[in-house]
Amino acid sequence: MNRLGLRARVTAAFAIGALLLAVAMALFSYDLTRRSLLDERERAAIRVAYFDAAIVRAGLDTDTADVAEVLRSLDTGSSRRPLVQRDERWYARSAEIGASSVPVELQRMVRSGEPAVQRIRTDGQPVLLVGVPLSPTVSYYELTSLREVEQTFQLVGLTLTAVAIMVAGSGAALGWYATRHSLRPLTAVADAAERIAAGDLSTRLDPATDPDLTRLSTSFNRMVEQLVRHIERDRRFAADVSHELRSPLQTLAAAASVLDRRREHHDQRTAAAAGLVADEIARFQRLVDDLIELARTEHPVQRERVDVEALARDACRTHGLSETLVLAAPSGNGEWLVDRRRVAQILLNLVENAVRYAGGPVEVRLTCEDDGTGVIEVDDDGPGVPEPDRELIFARFVRGRAAHARAGTDGTGLGLALVAEHAAAHGGRATVTDRSPGGARFRVELPGCLP
Amino acid sequence: MTAVLVIEDDDRIRLALLLALEEEGYTAYGAASAEEGLRRQRQDPADNVLVDLMLPGLDGFECIRQLRRDDDVPIVVVSARDDTHDIVAALEAGADDYLVKPVAIKELSARLRALRRRARAATTPVAVQVFGDLEISADAGEVRRAGRPVAVTRTEFRLLCELAQHAGKVLSRQQLLQRVWGYDSGDERLVDVHVGRLRQKIEEDPGSPRHLVTLRGLGYKLQR
Repeated sequence: MNRLGLRARVTAAFAIGALLLAVAMALFSYDLTRRSLLDERERAAIRVAYFDAAIVRAGLDTDTADVAEVLRSLDTGSSRRPLVQRDERWYARSAEIGASSVPVELQRMVRSGEPAVQRIRTDGQPVLLVGVPLSPTVSYYELTSLREVEQTFQLVGLTLTAVAIMVAGSGAALGWYATRHSLRPLTAVADAAERIAAGDLSTRLDPATDPDLTRLSTSFNRMVEQLVRHIERDRRFAADVSHELRSPLQTLAAAASVLDRRREHHDQRTAAAAGLVADEIARFQRLVDDLIELARTEHPVQRERVDVEALARDACRTHGLSETLVLAAPSGNGEWLVDRRRVAQILLNLVENAVRYAGGPVEVRLTCEDDGTGVIEVDDDGPGVPEPDRELIFARFVRGRAAHARAGTDGTGLGLALVAEHAAAHGGRATVTDRSPGGARFRVELPGCLP
Repeated sequence: MTAVLVIEDDDRIRLALLLALEEEGYTAYGAASAEEGLRRQRQDPADNVLVDLMLPGLDGFECIRQLRRDDDVPIVVVSARDDTHDIVAALEAGADDYLVKPVAIKELSARLRALRRRARAATTPVAVQVFGDLEISADAGEVRRAGRPVAVTRTEFRLLCELAQHAGKVLSRQQLLQRVWGYDSGDERLVDVHVGRLRQKIEEDPGSPRHLVTLRGLGYKLQR
């Protein structure tokens, strides 16, 4: 599931919260404004209607009263329209309004002697209808336009909507800003973790920056210190083991060389035994070297500019092979940003593997891909590596089938494991595939070439 | 016969090394401590010295420094420690080469041969070469700066002569390893540390060298 980031979620929450608050405030103030405005308008309209009703009543008191004449004498302006009902007949100043404008309910109320007020719509316009009973047979009605008030409401509504949107926007901005500040310590932790992973073990967080974050900083620092202690202990252990194993091996190597020198003085059986001792010492020495190296693979990678092509040529020369086996793609300046010791060993071990199990490499290729991945490929024309063994072959103390068939047990079973570990330490990987027309292709990808 | 002094506190290793070196045709003496080794070297100087780093009392680094004070005898460190710090520190103290235990006797013998060859004065076509205030006389095995003799070890002298022979041309670290130390391929730190030590002696300001310059990614060059 593609979840939103913390920052986006906090920002959205801030925006929604601000929007809800703003909408509630807007609705409340709209309602309040509308009610007080309408009340005031209504009171004014009723007051005026009663005043007009009094004039009409006075005009109708004479015997020869003409209702239309009386209505015409009213000074009502354009916003008020008077209406008189006498004996079921309606009188108005213009024909456009009449009985149809006045709800029957209201007519009944007014006729029974109750003054009444109602808000209605005529011709799509909001109006206030005030009904005043003048006598049991005469009712006076006045329609007051509420159009101006309605327009005011629309303006207020628009303004409040705009304000609500702006408040929500500010809420989002505030959330974004606040999370930037509150996430800064997390960014600092992430940066520090990356620096440590890259090998800078002296990296620590400053616990004094923020009292709320002291716990995070101190626990992070404690964790790093434990890690450093752990690495240091491993390093010392590896150094001690290396010393304790290598010292007796020196005695053995020197003694074996004396036996070897005196071969012709020995009888056949002694010579054979001495030969076995010498061979096993050599193997044991390689095993110790590889084990020590393996114990160190956990150490941080120390990247520097390395001429990998020169290292590849060295690896070939060390195994008595021609340097022309090395083919480097012309792209880039030939230098990679990698750990010299580790890459030298990757190359040595791959070449040695090819020599030991496939009669030697046929090509050692170095290429630099566009994304900055350096690729080392060592091809041989040996028996190849069967599909099921291709992952297993990089595990510790595992030798491929070809190894058992062709070279006895001469290897340490750690060479390719070291290749894989060194590649992984660089953030890369080691694989093996078929090579056409035949043989194996060992491929190591190391991020860090300079294209 | 070439005499080799083995300073090694582990009795079995020392005995085995003495036996193996004698088998290779050297005259070998042993010393179980740095103090004993230094005394021996003063009384009866050997042609080569092998030193272990972890010694009781005076340690290997100090032993190398004291040997170097009196003498330009080729010193080879044979140590079980392969930490970069130890290697660089030992070379900076004045060792000519550094080998990690266990060393095959054939390899050790080859290194000693290379050092002996190096110890003999290099045969340069030009007897005296001058680089500004620097004067190298190959026959006399002497280096002078501003007219005053400079004490260099045989390895340093050999390195200087190699660079002087190709004056103005760049020699890569691998080329120098091959020509000066006789390595087919080896640890380039050996070259870097020796160049650093040489600069301390022949340059007015070793921090920004005038004669022995580094060409980044290429190697070293000696110039006027």
